[in-house]
Order: sequence, then C-alpha cells, then structure tokens
Amino acid sequence: MADTKVIMPQMGESIFEGTITKWLKKKGDKIQRDEPLFEISTDKIDSEIPSPASGVVQDILVKEGQTVQINTVVAVIGDGTSTPAEAPKEAPKETRKEAAKETAKEAPKASPTEPPKEAPKEVKGTAPIDGPVPETDEEEEGGEEGGPEGTRSSPLVRRIAKEHGVDLSALAGKGTGINGRITKRDILSYVEQGGTAEKPAAKAPAARPAAPVPAAAPPPPPAMKFAGEVERVPMTQMRKSIAEHMVMSRRTSAHVTTFFEVDCSRIMKARENSRAEFERSGVKLTVTPFFVQAAANALKKFPIVNSSVDGDTIVYKRPVNIGIAVSLETGLIVPVVKNVDQKNLLGIANAINDVGERARNKKLTPDDVKDGTFTITNPGQYGALIGTPIINQPQVAIMGMGAIKKRAVVIDDAIAIRPMIILSLSFDHRVIDGAVADQFMAEVQKQLENWPV
Amino acid sequence: MALTTYVEAIRQGIWEEMEKDERVFVLGEDVGIYGGAFKVTAGMLEKFGEWRIIDTPISESAIVGAAIGAALMGMRPIAEMQFADFISCAFDQITNFAAKCRYRWGAGVPIVVRGPSGGGVHGGPFHSQNPEMYFVHTPGLKVVCPSTAYDAKGLIKAAIRDPDPVIYFEHKFLYRRVKEELPTDDLVVPIGKASIRRPGTDISVLTYGAMVYNALDAAKELEREGIDLEVVDLRSLLPFDKETILESVKKTNKVILLHEDTRIGGFAGELAAIISDEAFEYLDGPIRRITAPDTPVPYSPPLEEFFLPKVSDIVNVARELYAY
Amino acid sequence: MNVKDINPEILARQVVPPTRLPPDQTLLDLLYYMKLTRELEFRIERKLYRQGKIVGGVYVGRGQEAIAVGSCINLRADDVVCPSHRDMGAFLIRGMSLRTILAQYMARKTGATRGKDGNMHMGDLKHNLIPFVSMLADNVPVAAGIGLSFKMRGQDRVALCFFGDGATSRGDWHEGVNMASVFKVPVVFICNNNQYAYSTPLERQMAVENVADRAEAYGLPGEIVDGNDVLAVWDAATRAIERARSGQGPTLIECKTFRMTGHSAHDDAGYVPAELFEFWEERDPINKFERFLKERGIITASGIEDLQKRINREIDEAIQIAEKDPFPDPEDCLKDVYYEGE
Repeated sequence: MADTKVIMPQMGESIFEGTITKWLKKKGDKIQRDEPLFEISTDKIDSEIPSPASGVVQDILVKEGQTVQINTVVAVIGDGTSTPAEAPKEAPKETRKEAAKETAKEAPKASPTEPPKEAPKEVKGTAPIDGPVPETDEEEEGGEEGGPEGTRSSPLVRRIAKEHGVDLSALAGKGTGINGRITKRDILSYVEQGGTAEKPAAKAPAARPAAPVPAAAPPPPPAMKFAGEVERVPMTQMRKSIAEHMVMSRRTSAHVTTFFEVDCSRIMKARENSRAEFERSGVKLTVTPFFVQAAANALKKFPIVNSSVDGDTIVYKRPVNIGIAVSLETGLIVPVVKNVDQKNLLGIANAINDVGERARNKKLTPDDVKDGTFTITNPGQYGALIGTPIINQPQVAIMGMGAIKKRAVVIDDAIAIRPMIILSLSFDHRVIDGAVADQFMAEVQKQLENWPV
Repeated sequence: MALTTYVEAIRQGIWEEMEKDERVFVLGEDVGIYGGAFKVTAGMLEKFGEWRIIDTPISESAIVGAAIGAALMGMRPIAEMQFADFISCAFDQITNFAAKCRYRWGAGVPIVVRGPSGGGVHGGPFHSQNPEMYFVHTPGLKVVCPSTAYDAKGLIKAAIRDPDPVIYFEHKFLYRRVKEELPTDDLVVPIGKASIRRPGTDISVLTYGAMVYNALDAAKELEREGIDLEVVDLRSLLPFDKETILESVKKTNKVILLHEDTRIGGFAGELAAIISDEAFEYLDGPIRRITAPDTPVPYSPPLEEFFLPKVSDIVNVARELYAY
Repeated sequence: MNVKDINPEILARQVVPPTRLPPDQTLLDLLYYMKLTRELEFRIERKLYRQGKIVGGVYVGRGQEAIAVGSCINLRADDVVCPSHRDMGAFLIRGMSLRTILAQYMARKTGATRGKDGNMHMGDLKHNLIPFVSMLADNVPVAAGIGLSFKMRGQDRVALCFFGDGATSRGDWHEGVNMASVFKVPVVFICNNNQYAYSTPLERQMAVENVADRAEAYGLPGEIVDGNDVLAVWDAATRAIERARSGQGPTLIECKTFRMTGHSAHDDAGYVPAELFEFWEERDPINKFERFLKERGIITASGIEDLQKRINREIDEAIQIAEKDPFPDPEDCLKDVYYEGE
C-alpha cells in the first residue's frame, strides 16, 4: 500500500496557512480513514481534521503549535514499513508586507548608474529632429529605430527597404513625409526607379554619416494664409522629387553662375554641312551635340568640373557622362549620355536623340538617369536669353544654353550680324573657384568658335 | 420594389423568422398593443397573438431572465430593451447567467437581446448610449451592430438562428434615415464578418453603426484632394472579422479607428492593439482614433454636437495621417 | 437573537399529522433521500473538505433536508427544478449520481460541469435541473420564463424554484415573482427561510415578519410551513404543484427552518447564539421523521441502521471512484465558450 500524505487543508478561499493545535494520534498509532487525526486553527475557523486514509501514522512532520502554509505535508499514513519523510520548512514568521519591504530594500543595489547607451529613440512621429546628432554605427542597417540620420521612417518602410535590400541612408534627407520622414511613396518610387538618389560613400572614416544633409531639418514654412478661393492639388511623385532636389541642391552647393557669350556661326555652318549626311544615317542633327562635345572636351581639360564632393574629399570621375535636361509636361528629367568623350559627333547626336525620344515616351530605364557627371540644360528653348540653372547633385556644375539669336556684334571694329548664344555655368564654389570656372567656359567657347567647317 | 427603411428591415426580419419558426417569440415593454416604442413590432400582436408578442412589466432583468428560462426549454426568445440604455438593468442576467451557461454546463441559451442604441436624436444621457463594450468584454456573448437596412435584416435573422446569446444593437439614428431596396429572398448576414463599404488605397477607416455614414461622407470630400479612403463596416464586434481588418491595413498601411462610443475602453483600443500586434510592419503611420469624449452623452444640441464625431473630424485626421 | 425573540408560532408548533399521507413507499423514499443528503453533505463538509480533497467553497443544507426532498419527491420527469445551494436533496431525487456530484465537488473532469464550476453550481438538462448562479435570485426570473414556455406551448409541466431568505431581498426576486404572477405561470416558488444569510439575521434582511407576506403584494397565494416537517412540506408542495399544473398559476411556499452549520464550511457561525442551535437541534427534521415512522411501524430501529449502512456504502463507493477521476486538461479552459457543433 502506498503512503498517503496528509496535508494542511485550505479552510476558506483567503486562507493560506494553518496552525496545528493538537495531534489526536501519535506516531505508530493505527488510524481509520475519516477518523479525526489532528486539530487546526486558522484565521477563520478552528477545525478537527479527519485522516484521508486508513493505516498507521508513520510520520508526524509538523509539531503542535507550528504554523505551516496550506498544502504542506504535515503527516504520512503508511503501513509502517517505509522510511521517514523530511520535515517541511516552517512558514516564515514575518507577514507578507514585511517580506516585501525586505526585498525592496535590496533592490537599489542592482540599479544601473550609467546612462543608457542606445541612441535616443523618437517616440512621436511629429517631433522635429533636434539636438546633437546621435553617434550611429555606419554599418547599422537602416531598419533600426531612428536609424542613420535623416532616415526616419515607419515599420512599413523599413520592411520594404529590407525586402529590396535598400539601405535607408540612401534616401537620407529625401523623405517627403512630415519633417523629412521617408514615406511609403518615397521608398517605393526609389525602388521603382532603381534609386535616383546617390548612395553616400560607405567607406568614409568619420563616424558621422557623410551626407549633404544638415543636422537639423529646416522648420516648415509658416502656414499659408490667403483670402480667396483656392484649389488644393496634391503634388505628383515627380514634382515632389524635383522640389526636394532643388532645395537640397541649393542648400548643398555654393552656387555661383558665370556667363559667356559665344558666336555660333561656325557650328551653325558645320551643322548645315553635315545635316544631310547625318540624316542619311537616320540621325537628326541639332545644335545641341556641338555644345555637348565642346563641354566634354573642356571637361577633360578641367577635371575638377567633372567631380563630386564627399565631405572633405573631392571625387574625380573618369567617365564623362553628360546629362541632357529634357522638359516634359509632368516635369523635368535628365537622361544621361554616357562616355561622351569616346563618341564622335554622330554618336553624340544619335545618343541625344535616343534618350530624348525615350524620355518623352517614358521609356527610360533606371540606368539612363544615373551616373551623370555634368549636365546641360536648355533654358533658351522657349526664348530665354540666359539662365541660372541649379546644379544637379551630386555634380558640381551645370551649363545652361540660352536662345541663339542673331545680334549685331563688333568684330575687328566693324559691326557684324552673328548668331549669338549666352552660355551660363552654375558651379559649386566649394571646389571650383571663379577663375577655374571661367577658364573652363573659355575653353568651351574656344571649341565652339573654332569648330572645323 | 419599395425602399425599405432600417427599422422596417428589422421588423421584416423578426416577422419572417416568427412565421418560419414557432419557437420564436418577442417579449418586452410595449411591444404588443403599442407595437413597440419605435414600431419595430407593429402589427405582430394581431398576426401572432398574445403568447408570441408579450407585453411585460417594467422588469428588464426579469425580461432577460425569463427569456433565458424559455430558451433553456428550447424556445427562441427575442427580448427587447426599449432603449439599449436600459440593458444595464439586465446586466447580471446577461453576463452571469446567459453568457456562462454553455461554458459551465453545456446548455446553449439562444436568446436575442435587442434595443436601439446611439445618439444624435437629443435623447440625453439615458436614451443615447452605446453600451456595446460591456458585452464585448463578456466571453460567451455575441454582439452585432448593423448599419444598413440589408444588414439589419440579415443580422437579426442570424441572431435569432444563433445557438448562443446575441446582443443586437440597432442604431436609432438610422431607423428611418437609411433606406435601400431589399431582395425578397431569405437574406442572412453571417455574424463575425465585416463589409467593405468603400474600397480605397490610402487610409483604412474601421468603423460601425451610424459612423459608417460619416466616414463615407468624409471619403467623398477627401476624394477631391486625392485622398482615397477605404471604409470598413465592422458589423459584428464579437466575434469580429480580424481577417478583413488586417487585410485592409496591410493594403493601405494607415488606419483610422472611428466609433460613436466613448474613448477609454472603446472598441478602437482593442483594434489598435491587435493591429499593432499583428500588422506592425505594415504601418506607415500611427494608428489614429476618432471617438466620442469620455463623458456621458449630453443633451443640449451644441453639447451633443461637440460630443459626436463629425465628418470634419474624420477629414482633418485623414489629411494629417495622409501627409505623415 | 434571543430564544425568546423567536416567533411564538414556531415555538408552539407540534408535529401535526397532515391531512393526508403519501403512500408508504414514498415515506421510505423521503427518509432515504433525507438521510442520503445528510450523510453526503457530512462527508463533503466535515471530511473531504478538511482533507484538502475539495478546494474553494462548500455550502451544505444541514438541517434543511426536508425542504428539497419533501417538495421534489413526487415531481414528474418532465417537470423542471431550479435549485439553490442548500437543496442537495433535489439533485439526488432528480437522478444526479453520487459520483457525478462528488466529482463536481472535487473539480474533476467527470463532474457535472467538467471542472468549469464548483460545488452546488451544477445541473443537467437531462434531469431538468437548472444550475443556479452565485447571484442568488437570478433563478427566479429564469423559472418564470420556464413556466412561461410551458404555458405558451400548452404543456402541463411545472417548475420548482428554490431560494433562501436573503435572496428575496434582490431586485430579480421581485421582478421574477411579479412577472410569474402577471402571466400566471405554472411555477412553485419555495423559500428556504433558514433565518440567516451568512451572518445577517432575518430582522436585518427584511422588515416584514414572513417572506410569505410578500405573496399578497404580487397577487399570488403564500403559505408558511414548518420546514423541518417533511410531511408538511410534502403536503404544501403537492398542493401547489397541482395548482400550477392545472393552470391556476404560481404559489409561494415559505419553509421555516434553521441553518445548522456556518454559511460555508469555513464559517463556524460564531455569530449565532448557541441557544438557537440547541433549540433547533431538538427539531432536527430527520430525527423527527424517524420517530414518526417508528411510531407508525413503517420502519424499525434496525431498519434505520441498515438504511444508514446502505447509504454509507453507496457514498464510500462513489468517493472511491470520484477521487480517482482525472482533473480536466488545462486547455479545456478554452472550450465551450460558444457553440462548437455537435
């Protein structure tokens, strides 16, 4: 027969302990099931407790006067042959409240005194980015909360970025959400376009993220007050991107613009001469390829104009990839003609036509719009005399072509009628000084005014 | 086919079930001779007799208790609370007796407890409440809140046929304002399924009851700004359609939780926790709630107007959330 | 409360032979069920609970056995009983097994509620027993509804509804009795007035002398009987059941008795004056009835001993089986909140 444990019963729902007041049997006594075995006292009631089994009182484990918790084994009923059981611990004399005080006193030792190491976390999405830039690990994935500076986003955006293997710092500062937050639209269009934003150089030694993005986002402009009927139209994605890029470029580069007046008579003649021949090859010849080739030649002579700025470093680029700004109904796009310096005029003309065509038909690939090193834009197409274009980041210069107009000019002290153009060069004075810019443009002018006809 | 009002749809639903199933009967105050305070049971006494449309004393607890007893004996009672506000008098019978019978001893209690809830009718604190959450918080009960005439009819039928106790809140503001053409066949709307009233791509508005119409009005206005709301009518609060809710959130990535009930302890809190728990990586913005403030429903018109969520509230929050 | 303050009517009452008697077999059945109730509750309260084999609460109806037994003994199988916590006899008479009852108390899977609820919160539609809830008097409107359904369907079934003196203070009691009376439903309301609701004596519970006094306020007949006289209870209940069955509506029967234990097993009722226990001990319903039967020659002393032995054996066997029954699986917690199909 197996031994039966006799337990301290729970006499009432809130009772958790009981005191043995009297044993009615002693060790070795025979006992019947249900026969009174001992008496107890609790907060609610004093009671006589019957034996749960018949047999012999084998062990009495709790003495009279002792208080134990409910369900404690107080005795064992056996057939008299098994080994004695271990006596249980007495219930702690102190009340629960005192016990709690004890543990509370011990707690302060464990509390840390160092400030938390993690970067401060943004709690609300609308608080502006303020204060010192947190030290973040360059390798840190853009998915971390807060993340590299300028990459505030949402769980959704981080997930999409992760899925497409996009480092959110690539969109740093390009977020269109409140206070520069990267939105779903931003990440999706980035992914769609294969990433129009240049990735910042990952090898920069400084712990601070190298970016053309300032530490603090500018405060939002004051709310517009207008007393009159308005129609609110949300911006398209393209317009948003352009808007963002323009202000960002202005913030980034030290824009200066220089103007050169160029005599186009030789290139006009050259164009006349070659037009028929080009058309036989299926290429329509405009004046643009001439300017592109002249620029390319000048860029080879003045490589600083074909570079980028990365923090304290100037990044000189080998290829000469010239972007030609195309004006579409929906906005501006800059397809790039790659390796202009390795093409002849026909090749350049062909390439320009091709990307221009594809830009207008929305058939450009992500490759077509990236890796430009210099940009040419044409404010003159609608008649403007000169322009002051904004640099296409991360390049350091952009050339604008005014309208070609016949003008009276003085040559050898005589007045002649010549087709003239005013070329403007906006350049980044961080790395290109005025003298260099002017020398560059002088070279462009020389190329154009001495074109072989 | 004539347009059927929301209240008429409920009446039809009850009538049809009573014709079909002799176990179904209605008990409540003024339901017989008077045809019900809102005429939901008009004409039924004449048609079905005094033992199936039973006028009771003012005893909400006994009305529900008696319904429970009859249901245990195999009947299908519909207990009417003249105003849903009075359901508090029967709280004990509903939450301790009806809700726990099946769990405790395997006996189903197929009762329907129904009444008009909601404000906007100058009813004051005791004729305008939204008491749904006391019962959503009680396992063993089911809670439904239809917003269209079609759903009102379909859900009352489903409730009557359900083997468990169903609390059916009909929104009094919608009684005669909402009309639609109803099909003639036996239409039953399943309990526990939501309905997408307006599909959209930018923001999910999860709501129920009269607020569905505020959401739709807001959607029309926001359409002009290029903000496309998806309006999801929950229809059932217990059980609720988690699948449809999460699907919508995953599609639009931005959520507005809208209800006429007060804020703390309102259903929006429950949904916000679930969405945050199960769709965190689909959120492109914080979960926003639009609810009544934590006060009793006031009487004076400017106070009540302040109290009830407005179309402009929805429009403003949607704009903010869209731009986030 | 002083012995002197007790209603003189009760003091003066003798065992009055009722105007009619049930047949001899019924008399023996009455004795069996009362003694079975007494012994079962004794084992539950004084043994199993104190051995830690029952946890939570235990509420017995010691001294009040005559009320449930006397009123339920002649019910039909299709009649319905809504008992309260001191009506163990009702469960036994309606056919709930000792093993099921004990397993219920010991929280086993084989108990009446499969461990979902404890002690007297049990029932089974098979036996037409409706489990009550702790909100006492909730069963009164439910009983009214049950009676209403009989009436609606033209059935001559009857419902019995049990409650104590304390329960009659609750709103639901009044709403339920009122509604039952308004609709004239076939329900017999039986009040076990054992004069204490936990520690609250009767005069703190109500300002009227008798619970039955309330019947007039609701327009139904009320009757007072000696709750310790099983034949008086049987007589009054039988008449009331017949009234109900014949469509004459509900009756309220108040059974005067005394609670011979604490409110629960962990209450020693120290607030009850010892003289009251002594007074009512002399009026123990089982002792009274045994004397009566012996005088009438319906049973002998040794017959009573044999009956007790039989009862002990039945209970011993049931305990042995029930205490080996399994506890419910932890995940059973999640089952049966809603209809889950057949």
